[in-house]
Amino acid sequence: MTGAVVELRPVRQWIRRAQAAHRDRRESFGTAYTTVFCVAVLAAMFQGPLVAVFRPLAPRLSGSGALAAGAVCTGLLLLALRRLGPVTVSRPAAYFLLTAPVSRRRLLAPAMRTAAAGAALTGGLAALGILGNAVTTGSYLLAGTGALLGVLLTLLASAAQARPRLAALTDTAARLALAVGLAVLVAEATGWPPPLPGGEIATSAVVTLTGALAVLATIALLLGVRDLARTSNEKILESAKATGTLADSVYGMEPSFLADMVERRYWAHRRLRSARLPRRLPPLTGQDVLLARRRPARLAWTAASTTWPLLLSSAPRWALVIVLLAGSTLAARATTGTVKTDAGNPVLLRTLGLSSRQVVQQRFWVPAVLATVWATTALTLLQLAGALPPGQWWPLGLALGPVGAVAAIRAARTGFVRNDLLPFETPMGTLPTGALVYAFAGVDLMILLLPMVVGLAQGVTLTWTTAVFQIVIALTGVRLYLAVSTGTDRVELARRG
Amino acid sequence: MVDHPAVQVNGVQVSYGSTPVLVDAGLVVPAGAGVCVTGDNGVGKSTLLRCVSGLQQPDAGTIRVFGAEPGGAPEFWRAVATTVEPPTWYPGLTAREHAELVCRAHGQDPEDAGVDEALARFGLAGHADAIPPSLSSGQKQRLTLALALLRPSSLLILDEPEQRLDPDGRAMVAEMLAGYLSTGGSLLLASHDDKFAVASGAELVTMERLSRPAPAEPEES
Repeated sequence: MTGAVVELRPVRQWIRRAQAAHRDRRESFGTAYTTVFCVAVLAAMFQGPLVAVFRPLAPRLSGSGALAAGAVCTGLLLLALRRLGPVTVSRPAAYFLLTAPVSRRRLLAPAMRTAAAGAALTGGLAALGILGNAVTTGSYLLAGTGALLGVLLTLLASAAQARPRLAALTDTAARLALAVGLAVLVAEATGWPPPLPGGEIATSAVVTLTGALAVLATIALLLGVRDLARTSNEKILESAKATGTLADSVYGMEPSFLADMVERRYWAHRRLRSARLPRRLPPLTGQDVLLARRRPARLAWTAASTTWPLLLSSAPRWALVIVLLAGSTLAARATTGTVKTDAGNPVLLRTLGLSSRQVVQQRFWVPAVLATVWATTALTLLQLAGALPPGQWWPLGLALGPVGAVAAIRAARTGFVRNDLLPFETPMGTLPTGALVYAFAGVDLMILLLPMVVGLAQGVTLTWTTAVFQIVIALTGVRLYLAVSTGTDRVELARRG
Repeated sequence: MVDHPAVQVNGVQVSYGSTPVLVDAGLVVPAGAGVCVTGDNGVGKSTLLRCVSGLQQPDAGTIRVFGAEPGGAPEFWRAVATTVEPPTWYPGLTAREHAELVCRAHGQDPEDAGVDEALARFGLAGHADAIPPSLSSGQKQRLTLALALLRPSSLLILDEPEQRLDPDGRAMVAEMLAGYLSTGGSLLLASHDDKFAVASGAELVTMERLSRPAPAEPEES
């Protein structure tokens, strides 16, 4: 037995050559063309909103608001890096190279470099966005400061990957930064504390800070690469699966791959104690109550998110409408994973022996209650903050909630993206119809909220008659959906073709 | 329901592409009786069970379960329990909670139905708080069988229930199936283990006996 380390570079070169030999060059050019064309078209299409996000005409973030926005971006970036690894390898490399006698540091270093580059780019863009939104002006060098912070966050996430206690600490810190940052932003959006007149950050201070961060990042990078060998195989395999599934989701335009993996991992790490299902509720409603109770952190975030529409109180009304519709649907999605399980494979439905109508009706209540509470609270807060047109808007939670619930259920019932539908051929490449149908499943039911959407978007005073009319339309639509899309003669959620 | 045989299969034909799997297959499982189909891998045992469960449409022939066509109706699935398909599990629900949910959906009180006793009998008492995906394949198989036997049913359709079970587990499951038959239930299973099938009280039928040989192509003169 020999302990000789095999040189990694020739192995990688051989793999690249072998892959290149099997690749169709014309296809590669086609993919590159489509990508560049898509980016160019999307950039042209969304130029207005992008400018509004990065450089609004009337910046309104105070100094504390800008710091809070920085904390939110830091929290989000750190959580994303922790979820993806950040030290990872491709799935084939995890199978063939992770167990081979090659230098572990050389094997893992490219992933760290890529993650650091991505985080630097994100950090730089976030800094530019915050700078454009802040009343305080500063040097564009702050983009470099943001990029260096991104690199440091990658190194922190990499160190945490190899150390469970640091990992727990990092995750808590990231969530705390996110929560505190959002709380300050919401407070500022409601007028407390009032934004101070803008000043200018001294360029000398920015240069000193950026220089210090550059030195720190260089030292940390050298130490971080040396520390790579410490990351356990289990963690590398976990991140390889995560990045591989993310790639599958993007390439196959099938978001459920990623959602399923996240859900599976969440429950695999939980230690549960069997509880009795609530006796007074129908069995599936009881199951959903149990499921919602088991995710207190998610409920807490859902409760906190009722304040987030306040962030858009001075934004265009259409943005507020989108956030309200999306928020109620997301609140309802707390328990629709069970519907997704049944839609993907109805084995358990056959074991339960319930009709599809019984199943969907029993599964409707918990999402409806969650979404209604969310929508009523969000509308009340917006009304109190004066962000809505005149009138009593909060009762419309009774319309928004149930519609959000059926939208979430309809999306869950879609199961997986259908790849058997005819694709559209466009100059931007082939557009898969299945992915489009999947993306809009549930969104289509928002038509039931048309009176409210039009009223909000046009700033019309809401009368009680309009409110009652909207609630009646929404509840009738929900009732019709529950009746028409289900049957008493089948257990499966979808009718067999 | 008692007036009809539990399962009646007449002249069923199934082909995968150009390969015939079931040719003019016929089978009767009288109500309250058990039949075990045996045969080598690939002779069509699982296909037959899938057709009887209504999960696969035969190319030709008729299938009746208690006198009615098998299908996706709730009434059918309240009468028939099967392990023909690989199981799926609800997220965030323990093994015991899955068992309780199945009982509650069938209007049973979980305590009266003996959820804890069933899990104990299947050697899963120590795993009641585990989420099913974290169980071993043998434990998942036992949980699937426990769920099928816990809920009320008139016909059990089981595909190789002895698979992934240790000898003690096989003996215990066979005993439970015999008990199921003694309470008036009907049983259709596929198995490679004749001893297990006999112990479960089922009559052995080979797949060769079920299918008539495919008619020979007429020779060209």
